[in-house]
Amino acid sequence: MKKKNPLKIFTINIFFIIACFFALLPILYAFSLSLNANSSILSSDFSFIPKVLSLKNYKAVFVEKPVIMWFLNTFSLAFFTVILSLSVSIPAAYMFSEFSFKGKKPIIRILILLYSFPSILSMFAIYKLLSNLNLINTRIGLVIVYTGTMAIFGLINMKGYFDTIPNEIEDAARLDGASDFMVVRKIIIPLARPSIIVTGIQVLIYVWNEYIFAINFMTGSDKFTLASGLYTMQATEKSGSWAVFSAASIVISIPILTIFFLSQKYMISGLTSGGVKG
Amino acid sequence: MKLKKNDSFKCYLISSPSLALIALIVVFPIIYTFYISLTNMNTYHWFNPEIIGFKNYKQALFVMDSGFLKAIFITIVWTAVNMVFQMVIAFSIASLLNSPLLKYRRLYKTILMFPWAMPGYVSILLWKTGMFNSQFGLLNQWLTKLGFSSIRWLASDLSAFICCTVVNLWLALPFMIMIIDGGLQSIDRSFYESATMDGASTFCKAVKITIPCLKPIIGPAVIITLFTTFKQFDIIYLMTRQPGSQTGSTIQTIITYAYENAFISNNYGYSSSISIIIFIMLMVFARFSLFTNKKEEAL
Repeated sequence: MKKKNPLKIFTINIFFIIACFFALLPILYAFSLSLNANSSILSSDFSFIPKVLSLKNYKAVFVEKPVIMWFLNTFSLAFFTVILSLSVSIPAAYMFSEFSFKGKKPIIRILILLYSFPSILSMFAIYKLLSNLNLINTRIGLVIVYTGTMAIFGLINMKGYFDTIPNEIEDAARLDGASDFMVVRKIIIPLARPSIIVTGIQVLIYVWNEYIFAINFMTGSDKFTLASGLYTMQATEKSGSWAVFSAASIVISIPILTIFFLSQKYMISGLTSGGVKG
Repeated sequence: MKLKKNDSFKCYLISSPSLALIALIVVFPIIYTFYISLTNMNTYHWFNPEIIGFKNYKQALFVMDSGFLKAIFITIVWTAVNMVFQMVIAFSIASLLNSPLLKYRRLYKTILMFPWAMPGYVSILLWKTGMFNSQFGLLNQWLTKLGFSSIRWLASDLSAFICCTVVNLWLALPFMIMIIDGGLQSIDRSFYESATMDGASTFCKAVKITIPCLKPIIGPAVIITLFTTFKQFDIIYLMTRQPGSQTGSTIQTIITYAYENAFISNNYGYSSSISIIIFIMLMVFARFSLFTNKKEEAL
């Protein structure tokens, strides 16, 4: 056994305190700036603990910017995308995991290859496709694009997890007369919960963080999502509203941070078993 | 594992909503992009694009100053630099996290996860404005306080490249640390004990035990990260190339290059040919990295 060397313990702790400081640095800076009453951020005596606390930057976010509307837009997009993604991906993942049928292997190979293709490269083609379907500047259009973009991830990720569920359990249920639908509902969904939760959360985080489709496909600030709203806040205004921008960043991040840390225990297992990351 | 035979028609029917969406949003746009890449579609030929064959491809690949070859070069350097730093730093931090001397392991781990948990674009914008802004960024505030003159961090190529690398490492390290940490915890302790008894050095143990044991566990995550780094768009775009607020650096990865040619200079035909070239590169790359013998069995 190693002897406990106090100097070593001290050094390693100092190392991690510095690492944690770096991990939090931009967030801490934005956070303390957003709470600072003194809005002239050009003053050079910045400290991480504001001298005069004030919530006026947060008030400005909610009063001057339609943040609540952006939030509702983002929430509804995320909600419908997650529901649609899971309801198309779970049955497909189950079919590809449980049964062997003609053409299955080549399809999976092609899907894995296609998964490496970033959707931003075909964005112009998607734009033309949606404008021919009259879906530009509509929420349905964005939900379809988001669901389609995440569909391969959903299928492959959940198939990987379904593969690990022993077939005997399902066979026993089938012998008792359960239909495919019953097997999925009563056995697969409860047993594959970590993977379904992680897939859903990955889709949710994707929609929440997506800005490039949102700014190119949606016009008018009443259709903005939080991401495109924040994007325009920094693009149109310069130094003056940097404190308000920080406050908005914090407000926008809190829901995602909460969801992430609540689901943290599922994250690694639910992602690595399928072999793909969102 | 034995798979049940099932009626193919039924399988396709049940998978059809998912496959149809993939066909509509992934496959069709790629085919359509290929079609556009053969035309001269741009702002002037918006309604009447003509087929011009492979002229766009020739321009991308054989005209030196088209910028594409430079973008490929920068993308490769970017991927290599980031992967090396990421692996080395993540491995060191994960090893230290597993040190028996560390008491507050869980607390440190949770804090180190923050960059992964934050919405990516928010973090990038906070880095851009909060850290690197030349007037009121934190870095320049510190420099001024120490008596140095402030630096325009994102204005020159090299310095912008370094800044973007720092941000990418900041964003990507938590995932890699967690993966390696998980791998380290799965290695049997007794390997190390018998190696210590045989008098192996720490370095020797790392090379002979840790790295071979980690390889199969972290392999898929490394390949995925390699792809994400190669395809990185947000960092370089948001930090340096936003329309109306370019910072002066000229570094482009292939993806920002394709994006700008389509949505900024409206050169749709040319941009589509870039997309298809990148697509082929990724396919070849994926073919050799993803379908190694082990993965094959899992299909």
